[in-house]
Amino acid sequence: MDVIDVPRPSTKAINQDRAANALIMAQVSHLQRAERRLPLKYRTEIYTHAIQTEGEAAEYIREVTEAIHKAHADVTKRRSRRGLEIAAAAERPKRKSAVKRKRKSSKPTKSKKKK
Amino acid sequence: MPAGLDQLKHIVVLMMENRSFDHMLGSLKAVDPRIDGISNQLSNPDTTGAQIKAQPLADFQGQLDPDPDHHFPAVDLQIFGGDTSAGRVANMQGFVKSYFNQRGDVGHSQKIMYYFPQAKLPVLTKLALEFAVFNRWFASIPGPTICNRAFAHYGTSFGRVDMNPFDVIEPIKSIYTRLINAKHTAKIYYYDTTSSTMEVVNLLQNQPQLFGTFKQFKGDCNKGLLPEYSFIEPNYNDHDTDSGEEVANDQHPDHDVQAGEALIAEVYMQIRKNPKLWPNTALLVLYDEHGGIYDHVVPPTCAPDKFSASANSTGTGMEFKFDRLGVRVPAILISPWIPPNTVVDRVFDHASIPATLTKFFQIGGAAQSPREINADVFIEPNAGTVDAKRNLLSLDTMRNDCPVFNL
Repeated sequence: MDVIDVPRPSTKAINQDRAANALIMAQVSHLQRAERRLPLKYRTEIYTHAIQTEGEAAEYIREVTEAIHKAHADVTKRRSRRGLEIAAAAERPKRKSAVKRKRKSSKPTKSKKKK
Repeated sequence: MPAGLDQLKHIVVLMMENRSFDHMLGSLKAVDPRIDGISNQLSNPDTTGAQIKAQPLADFQGQLDPDPDHHFPAVDLQIFGGDTSAGRVANMQGFVKSYFNQRGDVGHSQKIMYYFPQAKLPVLTKLALEFAVFNRWFASIPGPTICNRAFAHYGTSFGRVDMNPFDVIEPIKSIYTRLINAKHTAKIYYYDTTSSTMEVVNLLQNQPQLFGTFKQFKGDCNKGLLPEYSFIEPNYNDHDTDSGEEVANDQHPDHDVQAGEALIAEVYMQIRKNPKLWPNTALLVLYDEHGGIYDHVVPPTCAPDKFSASANSTGTGMEFKFDRLGVRVPAILISPWIPPNTVVDRVFDHASIPATLTKFFQIGGAAQSPREINADVFIEPNAGTVDAKRNLLSLDTMRNDCPVFNL
């Protein structure tokens, strides 16, 4: 079995001030479109037209990605809280209706007897 | 049922960025002539008319700046050499001319012909020689990233040949939705939230629960929680993290190619070192498109998609019916059930990914694009009679000689 050493990139490989390539700028523009659909409170205050470098793009990409996740998580939380409230509300009248049903159910029995 | 297919539970796809087959794996022709790589005769004319040969002078970083153009019109020039006549024939003679258009520098434009010698890419070349390397895996479209990646997720780009956001046109759904609807598991692992995904508008916006990070991928491997299908995205940008700076490892020019080598090795080792995953996981490592870098194989025609791109949107003055493939990219299928030195000559493109998953996990019924329906599969369906000639996971017993990378 061969064991192969994997060389690491040079420390000079990283450059956050490098001009963002067309792919990264396209990603920024896609995220901007997604950001516009978010409620205002989740939106960033980053001016995307001024983004030029990878580091600047990265900051925007992170903020919007996290905001999208947070917006969905908040909705899920609200939904499950609402679900619990509905379930709790449904529990209470259930007992009452069960009692009612019991009372109601006694009537047909009587009527059956009449028949 | 062959043992390798019978045991297969997980399919993992790692899609890197913007490098052609010849650029990354072309040197391997000298090692194994069955691999359709670089030969001495291959050249392209520069703008002075001089023939520029492909040379093993590629460097990890600094050579391909500016990023070589790989939008639809530029790729058209690269493939057809500038011929726009009706009866034109593809000749792969326009790469140097195309790169010259960006800087107007004859010497610099010749660098588009450079390829990596084997020794410079110890990870990718080792995997290609140890497992199954595809001689004919092409980008889905002769164009840029977003529309090509769309083919891996949806089996179509819904008529797009550019980088703009696209709308999913029902009834076609992503392969993730299709798998989950059929009670299977699937996840997209982006590197981290600062790199995020290239499938922003549709999947991240509407189904963020499909996503995890690369750290979570490693955790899921260790905890036995790896989904049946995982799609891994590399780190697309240099950025800060809590523990220091993170270097882009997508290999997109002008990002460092060695950083991508380390990522490929890390994904491989995450599966390789786990005895509960290694026997039942297949890993496909491939590139989304060629990034404007030279390759010598003429992309073939294919069955057209039901969508088309207008003459205006292609930027070439010609309509595109999605009836031919993009430039060839490196693609390697890895599993301990694959014999070493397997070379595959059948034609594939990224629509082969959802096509393979649909057939392997038997999730028929959902709508597929014509391109996906006609795409070949790289893993045979785990049902009925298996054609031994097509099955790449063909060994009766699992290999115990697979390489190990020291990270």
